[in-house]
Amino acid sequence: MGLAMLVLLPTFDPASPYAAATHHLLLISLWMAAGIFALVCFLVFYAIIRFRYRPGQGTPKRISGNRNLEIAWTVGPFLLLVYLFIATLHSMAGTDPSAKNAAPALTVIGHQWWWEVRYPDGVVTANEVHIPAGQRLLIRLEAADVIHDFWVPRLGRKMDMIPGKPNEMWIGASQPGVYQGSCSEYCGREHAWMRFKVVAQTPADYTAWLSQQAQLPPAPSSAEAEQGAKDFQQLTCANCHRIAGTAASSGVAGPDLTHVGSRLTLGAGRLINNPQNMREWLRSPETYKPGCYMPNLRLTPAQLDALTAYLEGLK
Amino acid sequence: MAAAAPALTSRYLDPIRLGVLLLIATEATFFVFLISGYVYYRVMVHTTPTAAQELDPFKTGLFSIALFASSATMGVAHRRVHHPQRRGLALWLGLTIVLGATFLLGQGLEYVHLYRQQFTIARNVYGSSFFTLTGFHGLHVFAGLLILLTLTGLVMADRRHAIPDVAFDAAAYYWHFVDAVWVVIFTLVYLVK
Amino acid sequence: MSDIPLSPLNPEWPRAQAESRAHGGLLSWVASIDHKEIAIMYLITTIFFFVVGGLEALAMRVQLAIPNNHFVSPEVYDQLFTMHGTTMVFLVVMPVLIGLATYFVPLMIGARDMAFPRLNALSYWLLLLGGALLYYSFLTSRAPDMGWFSYAPLSEKPFAPLPGPSFWALGLLLTGIGTVASAINIIVTTFSLRAPGMTMRRLPLFVWMSMVNSFVILFALPALNAALVMLLVDRKLSGNFFTPASGGSAILWQHFFWAFGHPEVYIMVLPAFGIISEVIPVFSRKEIFGYPFVAASTVAIGLLSFAVWAHHMFAVGMGHAMDVFFAVGSMLIAIPTGVKIFNWCATLWYGSIQFTTSMMYALAFLLEFTIGGLTGVMFTLVPVDWQVTDTYFVVAHMHYVLFGGTAFALFAAGYYWFPKITGRMLSERLGRWQFWTVLIGFNMTFFVQHILGFDGMNRRVFTYPDLPHWGLYNMISTIGAFILGFGALLFIINIEYSRRHGAIAGDNPWNAWTLEWATTSPPPPQNFDAVPPVRSRRPVWDLMHPEDPDWKDSH
Repeated sequence: MGLAMLVLLPTFDPASPYAAATHHLLLISLWMAAGIFALVCFLVFYAIIRFRYRPGQGTPKRISGNRNLEIAWTVGPFLLLVYLFIATLHSMAGTDPSAKNAAPALTVIGHQWWWEVRYPDGVVTANEVHIPAGQRLLIRLEAADVIHDFWVPRLGRKMDMIPGKPNEMWIGASQPGVYQGSCSEYCGREHAWMRFKVVAQTPADYTAWLSQQAQLPPAPSSAEAEQGAKDFQQLTCANCHRIAGTAASSGVAGPDLTHVGSRLTLGAGRLINNPQNMREWLRSPETYKPGCYMPNLRLTPAQLDALTAYLEGLK
Repeated sequence: MAAAAPALTSRYLDPIRLGVLLLIATEATFFVFLISGYVYYRVMVHTTPTAAQELDPFKTGLFSIALFASSATMGVAHRRVHHPQRRGLALWLGLTIVLGATFLLGQGLEYVHLYRQQFTIARNVYGSSFFTLTGFHGLHVFAGLLILLTLTGLVMADRRHAIPDVAFDAAAYYWHFVDAVWVVIFTLVYLVK
Repeated sequence: MSDIPLSPLNPEWPRAQAESRAHGGLLSWVASIDHKEIAIMYLITTIFFFVVGGLEALAMRVQLAIPNNHFVSPEVYDQLFTMHGTTMVFLVVMPVLIGLATYFVPLMIGARDMAFPRLNALSYWLLLLGGALLYYSFLTSRAPDMGWFSYAPLSEKPFAPLPGPSFWALGLLLTGIGTVASAINIIVTTFSLRAPGMTMRRLPLFVWMSMVNSFVILFALPALNAALVMLLVDRKLSGNFFTPASGGSAILWQHFFWAFGHPEVYIMVLPAFGIISEVIPVFSRKEIFGYPFVAASTVAIGLLSFAVWAHHMFAVGMGHAMDVFFAVGSMLIAIPTGVKIFNWCATLWYGSIQFTTSMMYALAFLLEFTIGGLTGVMFTLVPVDWQVTDTYFVVAHMHYVLFGGTAFALFAAGYYWFPKITGRMLSERLGRWQFWTVLIGFNMTFFVQHILGFDGMNRRVFTYPDLPHWGLYNMISTIGAFILGFGALLFIINIEYSRRHGAIAGDNPWNAWTLEWATTSPPPPQNFDAVPPVRSRRPVWDLMHPEDPDWKDSH
């Protein structure tokens, strides 16, 4: 049962060759730790049972030490560590292969508390990273404000995103699927809700997704959505959020909303993206993400309906 | 009990000497970190103006000679402690104080000059690391001066020469340490371009 | 007993003592420069802060009991974990170990006081002032909320405009200066004030480890102090050290902080090793196995502790060469630590083990600390660290070291030394209850956190999504935390009860062998009228068994 539970854990369920290289080392180290712990348990419990005080027993005889034993338990662990060291070098090469001479295929920028994902050709999305399954991409990691950390347990290592010091690492997934990711370095109030998803698609789906994202979003399809588009520009939404093909072209403080209707979540993993949640999120962001930088604009029900219709239509 | 007392000093390390040496060790470590911070920014970050461009090694060099000379006068004073009448002790301590104060005066003038050039602690990383490093050194010189002033006052009031030798040892060790730190800082900040 | 030589007197002692005794009541404590009174103030202060830090932890556990909980806001939660970490490290573990050393190092080496009694008092008052300053920040609208590690630029003015981090830095500077002064005091006391015959090879292991610990403090604290000064320059004088936006470096803070922070881990655990090295032999009725190896491995740990700091930074992207260098240093430190564990186990073997509460804590320490040590080795395996650093796996690991290790050793010390300090025994009956409550509560709280880490739960999150099992494991952890809290409360109740109604201890209730047991309980102001001759590592054994002294045997 214990093993079955371990398999459910993401760190024990690698979905990429990089995570698999770590997983291998993790298992070695866990078994070794279990073995040594069992040895110490034996030494302690045997002594507790066998050498407990019994009435009438005299003073134990003097034993001040034993040089051979000292050498044994110095050299023994040393040899184990040598083995672990070699296994570590091997695992490092597999987990984090060299990225020399490779150009990053996409850039992820950490913000307090959301993720900006930039592809070549101007495709910008937020809080989800699309990749083609079965291929590896080099991603560049940056931070806009404080230190964040990019971590997808089933896909591989975590890597800090540090202002002023970009990092690069390989990412890939063997099979199509959606993988949970999160910020792993404390970055302020809403660190807990700085989550994202990696969406691994078949290469054909990925190409289709990328070209669809590169296009302008469809025009509003109803009068309500039409009103929402106007509200978006007139209320202060456009100050922080960009929507390609509209007058809202300069907002960089919040996520790019060009194709927000096609995304899986709202508020960096806080809510599932559907019209009802979108309306709730617009109505009161602080209810769902207290302390986040998105203000409560005290929108009227009509404005909420209109904006929801507009934004959910941006597929 | 009185018989046991000499055993203390002969068999074991003198507490005050050892204590001051440990203090110097931990203070030196503190400066190692401030200095490595300075070097790190100097090597890793490329902005202008740098402290190195604004500084005048010659002028500061003259004031530094005052500090280095004060180590020598401190050495003479330290030797006078063992003189039967401790003759000239207060004079040499006083000379050390004058030289140390001269150095601090030079540092003050340099700071005023730099601030007039808009080179401040807030200007850039060089400003921050330059003023923090040299400022903390200056603070240590100042603390040393207070120690020396106290000692000099006590020596002048001390007609029976009752102040124990270790008090002078402690002051001398500390003063030489402050001087040695400046050798490193002066070389790294003013001479290495 | 005319052949018993007198110990060398601390020359300052008689005058110091007269001054201390001149006033009565509370003022005599404030003005005290007696090492035992100062140590008692250390212990009371740290127990107070332990309660405060513990309540902060319980509040966090309530918030995390169920997913999407609203018990506290994220702002409050961030203050709670920052203050919990800072309090436990700087106001509980470090000062309680220094407090114990302040009480017992002079007694164990046959001295009358510390080398510098006034400096000793200054250290304590700086601790209290620093702690007060840190907690005063709550009154300024917000306590520090950037984590006990205070990573820049989150701790800098643009992201933390309120004064919390400045109070944090000032408070830690004050306690840090006090700690360095204590370290100097302990080293000088150990080198200069030993009784005749108390050679370094006969020094009790608690003294050995407190001394090595003091050297580590001497060279580690300046890194923190330098970093704090630079942070204050940034925050108060608009400096640019750690602000990337103006050319500063967010990484340099990490290097400086961990150059202090990892030696700090050993600062918090070495004296605990010392306690275990005293308690296990006494209750096995057998001298420590491999004394020179236990002492030398302490020195090895102290030295290696300065070559491991960047293993906290494997996720920073320093490059594989750096990662490997620090991985090797960190792996090597497992060897001297393992040597200690095996020597303690070997001390048990062929002994005659007495299950006092103190010994039960020491035995539990062996197992719990081994778990924490082994998960520590896992963090030296760079890819494993890349996976689970900054998750609840770290929280679990570090509490197995600091609670399962240090706190268990401190409970062992409490039961072992309380009779010496107060003259009365702690209740063993209450002690049993307390031991099992703490043992069960502790493992319940922290064992499941290993799994949560593997499950992807990050540290320092005020809440978490309702993913499979997360709620269950967190609930188990929260229930465990309350059991553990109750266990800690029982300890305080035991102290309060036993200091009035406990059985009278006598000079040497455990038949122990080091010099603190050669005087009355509590010891008189001058500690000893005469120190027994020290001719072996167990002078009190020699005194009690003139027919079979150690010094005739092998040493």
